[in-house]
Amino acid sequence: MLNYIIRRLLWMIPTLFGITLLVFVSIRLAPGDPATVMMGVGSGGEMSEGSDFASRIAAFKRENGLDRNVFVQYLGFIGPFNIKPDGHELFGGSGKDPWSGLLALDLGTELQRSNVPILEELGRRLKVTLLLSFISILITYALSIPLGIFSATRQGTVLDGAVTVVLFLLFSIPTFWAGLMLILAFGQSGLGWLPVLGLESKDAANLSGLEALWDRGLHLIMPVMVYTYGSFAYLSRQMRVGMMDVIRQDYIRTARAKGLSERVVIFKHALRNSLIPVVTLFASVLPILIGGSVVVEYVFDIPGMGRYAYEGLVQRDYNIIMATTTFSAFATLIGILLSDITYALVDPRISYE
Amino acid sequence: MSAEKERDGEVLLEIKGLRTHFRGDEGIARAVDGVSYSVRAGETLGIVGESGCGKSVSALSIMGLVPQPPGFNAGGEILYRGEDLLQVSENRLRELRGNEISMIFQEPMTALNPVFTVGNQIGETVSLHQGLNREQAREHAVVMLDKVGIPAPEKRVDEYPHQLSGGMRQRVMIAMAMACKPGLLIADEPTTALDVTIQAQVLDLIRSLQESEGMSVLLITHDLAVIAENAHHVAVMYAGKVVEYADVMQLYRAPRHPYTIGLFRSLPDLAPRDQPLATIEGIVPSAFHFPGGCRFRTRCSLAQERCSAEEPLLEPVSSDGGHTVACHFIDETDSLRA
Repeated sequence: MLNYIIRRLLWMIPTLFGITLLVFVSIRLAPGDPATVMMGVGSGGEMSEGSDFASRIAAFKRENGLDRNVFVQYLGFIGPFNIKPDGHELFGGSGKDPWSGLLALDLGTELQRSNVPILEELGRRLKVTLLLSFISILITYALSIPLGIFSATRQGTVLDGAVTVVLFLLFSIPTFWAGLMLILAFGQSGLGWLPVLGLESKDAANLSGLEALWDRGLHLIMPVMVYTYGSFAYLSRQMRVGMMDVIRQDYIRTARAKGLSERVVIFKHALRNSLIPVVTLFASVLPILIGGSVVVEYVFDIPGMGRYAYEGLVQRDYNIIMATTTFSAFATLIGILLSDITYALVDPRISYE
Repeated sequence: MSAEKERDGEVLLEIKGLRTHFRGDEGIARAVDGVSYSVRAGETLGIVGESGCGKSVSALSIMGLVPQPPGFNAGGEILYRGEDLLQVSENRLRELRGNEISMIFQEPMTALNPVFTVGNQIGETVSLHQGLNREQAREHAVVMLDKVGIPAPEKRVDEYPHQLSGGMRQRVMIAMAMACKPGLLIADEPTTALDVTIQAQVLDLIRSLQESEGMSVLLITHDLAVIAENAHHVAVMYAGKVVEYADVMQLYRAPRHPYTIGLFRSLPDLAPRDQPLATIEGIVPSAFHFPGGCRFRTRCSLAQERCSAEEPLLEPVSSDGGHTVACHFIDETDSLRA
């Protein structure tokens, strides 16, 4: 097993290279670039024309190494050589700051706010996103597994039908719409029960421990709801289908023929088997856990990973885009590995020896 | 035959006019439609018939394992030691299942739960019915595995079903079914899915366990050879009904129902290779649309008007009344045996 895990981890390296190279090249092929986004183009005024504008753009590009061949730039992203003017002498730099890039665990600074190191900002954002998504995923699993079992064991009844309809509706509602409706209903414009923006009140710093916790809790309710309902609906259906499939199996009839009670038949013999397919979904859950949700974080103005990726994209900030995509690619790969390992843990037929 | 007679102890299981029907898209499927048979203590009753004739459903009805819905009981009695299993509570039925009456199934590959060890699955039954703790249950599982002839039971007890061959798994199923020393073992096509060499071993095992434990066996199969070697009495089922019931010797010597005769005639024979195999014309009618009168008439060469007008009942054809046949033209069926 350990051998297998090490082998899989090693395989991740070329995969990650492939993914990052693809993203790196394709964002540079996309229209717009950080310099023009930052300084504006064709918007009239003194900056729109003349050598001054052109030279400022050129200077910005040189400063950030954006004037180089795209593959040299990619090399700069991977590291460990810094290819910018103050970088390694090998790339014509001054040698002041020779090492940078992924291999040096340095993702650079944001292009617009050059005093903000991306790795630090990533850490801040990750904390916010992890809190939100961890709570959401716990709630999702805690609700959908029992509901799936409930539906499957009452297959074809009115109750099962009602659950199916509600879940189908939930699954069909777009996130942004649900978020806006919740805000309208419970925010200041509606009942005024819940705060609408951010994860804490403006005066949170002055609150005592318990009050701050309450404040945080209130802020979390709506984002968590929006985060949860879709995956809850999806996972419940998955669980129902899995359970129904298992209940039809011969070994469930065997279990009943032994005289076991229905409770033992379902929760011992059926549950573990029906969890096997749900476990694979874990692979898709981890990247969401870390990557955050662009829509939720945007609607509720939460400074998390999802918003960071979105901001990076809008600003054509190549450094942010590369950092967030590399990070979620890594999370996806780890998620797949974890679900493969969990597979072997729950199903004795699967072994990686 | 007198030796067989002595086996006739008390009647352990008696089924009277059992009707198990299913609701379906086309109406009601009368899978088991007025079936009666009885099993005496220590004997093996073989039930034979084509697939879809209701033999498995009648067995599942005894266990109370017919899925409801769509299945439902439409009448009859299932008396086990005088207790009507169709009337008792679900709790009482659970007490009997796996304990007094146990069952083994056709597919040993899928009848065991893939995620639990065989020891766990065997031990579960005894800890449920006899209140053994985990350790005792495991020990009992080892004893049972040994009893069904699994080598190195101490090692096998901790293995998972996928680590065992098909024959081994069927032995595990038997160990599981025998764990609580049941009075009645229902074996539903226990060897159909196994290699021929393994089939004989498994049947021998069931027979020797039956003799040592003194239990009764209800052996369901479509294989006449299996019946010949293992059953004491035979009930032939067709389209949800028993059409012939006899002592195994009587049945093999002189089958009387046209359907039974057809079954024997379609057994492959070594001698004339150039002749095509005899078959029974037509197919089993759908349980949704059984023909009126005699249900076999649509495939029977003897069928006359009376057969569609009047349903034949099981009537004794032997002097001792042990051989019964449901056919209007019993005297003419001899002509079918060529």
